[in-house]
Amino acid sequence: MTGRRRAVDPITFELVHAALLSAAEEMGGVLKRSSYSPIIRDMEDFSCAIFAADGDLVAQADHIPAQLGAMSLVVKSTLTRWGQAIADGDVFIANHPFLGAMHTPDINILSPVFVRGRLFAWTGATAHHLDVGGVNPGTEGPALEQVYAEGLVLAPVRLFVGGSENPDVMSILTENIRDPLSTISDLRAQRAACLLGRARLLETIERWGITTVRAVFGQALDVVEDAVRLALAELSDGEAEVEGFMDDDGRGGPPTRIHARLSKRGDTLAIDLSGCAPQVAGALNVPWASTRATFAYVVRVLTDPHLSSNEGILRPLEVICPLGTVLNPRPPAAVSVRHNTCQRIADTLVRAAAEIWPEKAVGSSSVTFFGINIESVSPLTGHLSVLSDVVGGGTGAHPGGDGIDGVDTYMSNVGLMPVEVAETNYSVRIERTELIAGSQGLGALNGGMGIRRDYRVLDRPHRATFYGEQTNPDFRPRGARDGGDAAPARVLQFDSEGKSVPIPPKVSTTLEAGSLVRVETSGGGGRGPAAARPPELIATDRDDGRLGD
Amino acid sequence: MVAIDIGGTFTDAVAMGSQGAFRVAKVPSTPDDPSQALAQAVSELLADGVPADAIDLVSHGTTVATNAVLTGRLARVVLIATEGFRDVLGYRDGTRPDIYSLEPARPSELVRRRDRLEVRERMSSRGVVTPLVDREIERVVREVAKLRPDAVAVALLFSYLDDRHERAVGDALRARLPDSPVSLSSEVAREFREYPRTATAALSAGLRPVVGRYLLDARQELEALGIAAPLMVMQSNGGCVPAERAEREAHRLVLSGPAAGVTGVAALGARHGLDRLMSLDMGGTSLDVCLMSDGMPPVAPSLTIDGHPILAPAVNIETLGAGGGSVVRVDGAGRLQVGPQSAGADPGPAAYGRGGEDATVTDAHVVAGTLSAGSPLAGRLRLDDDAAREVVERVAAPLDLSLERATCGILAVTLAQIIRALRRVSVERGIDPRGFTLVAFGGAGPLHAGLILRELDLASVLVPPHPGLFSASGLVAADLRIDASQTVLAPHDPAGFEEMLGWFRLTAGQLVAQLREDGVPRSRVRSVASIDCRYRGQGYELSVPLPSVSRRGLHTIRADFDRLHRSVYGHANEGEPLELVALRLSAFGGLSHAEPPSVARGGSTPRAEARVGERPLLLPSDRRPARATVYRRGSLCAGNRIAGPAIVEQMDSTTLVLAGQQARVDGHGNLWIGEGRP
Repeated sequence: MTGRRRAVDPITFELVHAALLSAAEEMGGVLKRSSYSPIIRDMEDFSCAIFAADGDLVAQADHIPAQLGAMSLVVKSTLTRWGQAIADGDVFIANHPFLGAMHTPDINILSPVFVRGRLFAWTGATAHHLDVGGVNPGTEGPALEQVYAEGLVLAPVRLFVGGSENPDVMSILTENIRDPLSTISDLRAQRAACLLGRARLLETIERWGITTVRAVFGQALDVVEDAVRLALAELSDGEAEVEGFMDDDGRGGPPTRIHARLSKRGDTLAIDLSGCAPQVAGALNVPWASTRATFAYVVRVLTDPHLSSNEGILRPLEVICPLGTVLNPRPPAAVSVRHNTCQRIADTLVRAAAEIWPEKAVGSSSVTFFGINIESVSPLTGHLSVLSDVVGGGTGAHPGGDGIDGVDTYMSNVGLMPVEVAETNYSVRIERTELIAGSQGLGALNGGMGIRRDYRVLDRPHRATFYGEQTNPDFRPRGARDGGDAAPARVLQFDSEGKSVPIPPKVSTTLEAGSLVRVETSGGGGRGPAAARPPELIATDRDDGRLGD
Repeated sequence: MVAIDIGGTFTDAVAMGSQGAFRVAKVPSTPDDPSQALAQAVSELLADGVPADAIDLVSHGTTVATNAVLTGRLARVVLIATEGFRDVLGYRDGTRPDIYSLEPARPSELVRRRDRLEVRERMSSRGVVTPLVDREIERVVREVAKLRPDAVAVALLFSYLDDRHERAVGDALRARLPDSPVSLSSEVAREFREYPRTATAALSAGLRPVVGRYLLDARQELEALGIAAPLMVMQSNGGCVPAERAEREAHRLVLSGPAAGVTGVAALGARHGLDRLMSLDMGGTSLDVCLMSDGMPPVAPSLTIDGHPILAPAVNIETLGAGGGSVVRVDGAGRLQVGPQSAGADPGPAAYGRGGEDATVTDAHVVAGTLSAGSPLAGRLRLDDDAAREVVERVAAPLDLSLERATCGILAVTLAQIIRALRRVSVERGIDPRGFTLVAFGGAGPLHAGLILRELDLASVLVPPHPGLFSASGLVAADLRIDASQTVLAPHDPAGFEEMLGWFRLTAGQLVAQLREDGVPRSRVRSVASIDCRYRGQGYELSVPLPSVSRRGLHTIRADFDRLHRSVYGHANEGEPLELVALRLSAFGGLSHAEPPSVARGGSTPRAEARVGERPLLLPSDRRPARATVYRRGSLCAGNRIAGPAIVEQMDSTTLVLAGQQARVDGHGNLWIGEGRP
């Protein structure tokens, strides 16, 4: 235990802290319950949080890792832009990737909380909206070149002024997005969540007093920082340097290098990303808030998965990430598919950690993150709609056992679309979905298996966009501690006669009726030498048909 | 009648006679062969004077299916899937269980990969794509026979729309392997989404031999004791099924235990005219909570156990890792943490004196004085005051707190966790818990009920006469229940109404016939119809009740859905087209229920022998220790009133009444706690 003096006794701290977490969770409950889009309700692609007056994150409900620490930088840029003009009853909206947001579809709603006429805190809710306008339906696209192509960009502006809706901003929104009904409904749900958070926070202040609550704000960060430092101090010192690559730059160009030098001294972790590629032409660039989220994710998985999410997580880090690189781009870089790059950063940092602490080493998980959008006419309704699917891969082997087959990995957890849903709603037949024998890295412990899925488009030509990583064999998932590497991913196309048609792994194209797209995602890396795998487990692998030819 | 509830630690039995006669028995569970404890509990009832030949019905809540899933002791199943899809149980829904762990355990496999076979056939939503030919059926049945499985599951794509291929394979399997149970996905759940339907079929097949064997043992044990009465088994949906049919419905039994308690709460609410109820069952390791806003336990169309989905209606219960045995620790950063680890029943809290070395919530209660060395406790053990004090001291020291302050702190933090969970559950369902009545049971429920009452501003607390045996009492109140469903995925269009009404009529006839076979006449059958609906384009459904199964009823479901959507989600989209996802029909067969026993009437002041003493009580809300009067529950009479601070002790639980609260005893011995003076 560190000797730091605590302003608030541990019991009072726990009670007030529980009230703050409870407020953030209830905000999430309100948002989830009153939102329109399945992406919020079913995939939980949203976050709710409470911030100190200066924008430091104090309490965040646990939803998706990709949004860890989200909004804090947006609160800070709101303070910079609006300063003394911020008034009670205002509600701010922002999605600007270069003013603290993550990518344009993630819209942040922020409510300042005033106590006795002074700004005391903020409540915030961010949520992924399916469309915020731009060139592509659904806004995202790997080949986009500038943030201006990625839909409406909002600096922090006032959605509500003194408690009333701001018609100017509302009008700009409704005229620039494809589905204003659900977007505006969801924005109102986000505001409702912020107001509930504000009410709960005011109740907490009423009960415990403003001095105590302010002290708990500070202490919450201190205890998380201390927990991380303690966990780091228990690990041996060391450093490692690891690189990883994206297959291209989003537009079919050369591979994009991700490079990390990780160094642990005492209770501090230094992350040097200056070896990363300069920002790229396509939309694989990662805005700073998302890069920060990968740090918070990696600290949590390496130290304590149950850590509360707040600013304290990042304090023991010393980060170097020069401006103008792919992980800290300058405007007007496009960033909409930044999640694929985030998966690669997470993987690179996890591999660097494995070099420093071999006893904790895990095989790499798949970061194929194959996404496919097929614009299709629904056989049910005759309307045009978009089938949107993400196919996971294998996770890495770890000291406790084999990896998991066919799941989303690292910083997201998106499910696979059921065949019976896809074929009912779209003119598509999914002809095969199976685990790929031999796709996993073999070792004393094996990685998880990748997935093979076949999409055949029916009836008429279909516009489609798809993108996946790790099709370059050099960038396949690696094994740990002499464990075997996993097989790389493949994306194949066949015409209606079954003849192979060459296609790039990231493309927007038209698929003729009867043609078939096959994706094979990568498996997970193995751990330890394959010779050390007990014969009875190898026999099981063989009997279960898991081994390739 | 007799009700038997088998839990993880204890097996409880309750006998209720027509004249309010009431006998109870509590024996340790025998997990390796649960029928042993069942026999033991029933023979204790018989020894206590319950005549075997007077028992007209035995209802039973069992964890045999639950435990089989949780411990992986399922029968070996071979799965037959559509060509290209044998791995649906391998990749599941494509998500992983624990996002923040780099060392996640592999999800348990319901069917080994070598036992997952494919059959060449394909249906789609448009009809047959690849026909299933006889030669292919023969081939796959031969393959199955070679593998000599305990049971077989068949789950083919789109069988919820057209089950001809599944039936053809199923018929051939049943002819070739007459001794192996065969579960068809279209028989267990006619619902879309292939992963949950396949998992349900595989679980059904894996459970049938286990449940079948157990029920055979149980019936033999009962017969050996001279009991010939029919045996009914509680299902996850809060209704019973006759044992003869329970084997085929094995996948419907996994929430059998918790469902009984909630059913008991609903029955208690009905008797007292209460429809806003919060059921709180807190034991040694966990806390089960269920919110009812219309007097009925909310039933979800499916449940998840050990990561496996089961498409069978289940009472909507939230389980939290907070119980009397929750371990209290101080972490490296100087934070006080309660749970989620539990000392369980063995060694249990330090105060149990069985070698437990961790401080637990129960130990804090012992130091606080709510539990005392003198209190009787389930299992007839004596609490060890000194051991409790010692482990709580060990928590207090690193926090630099006095023993008293640490004790109050542990109780306050535990309460804050419970409140946080209750708020989350209520706000996610759009329910304001203020004004609800909390029915508290389980060993530790009544200990925390008064604190929750105050914190959440509830109307009152109801503590049933035997909180530790309440699940068994719930079985006494249960009726038979059968559920049927059919995915339709059709627009809300009068052109399709006749076909839907046809399904409801046909299915209603089948369910009534089934209940008649179970011994319930048509006059005692009640059916409830509903339709899962959504706005077109939404990925989630709401189940809308269909009060009248008629064209008119189908017309008005549109407005009903808008209204329900508004009340649940806060908004409605009246202009959006409606999609009907699934038809649901549940039939209830009324059983005759014994009246709960009455207790003797007394004055407003409890008799002298009910007051067993006084002791100091240390609570988070109090500035200094208060002196609480201690009462013996069994000696209280109807009409008695008790002012807090007070402690009411009984064999199976301890009830805490805070200063400023008052409790009264009703004619059936229930304890009602409210805020304010008597």
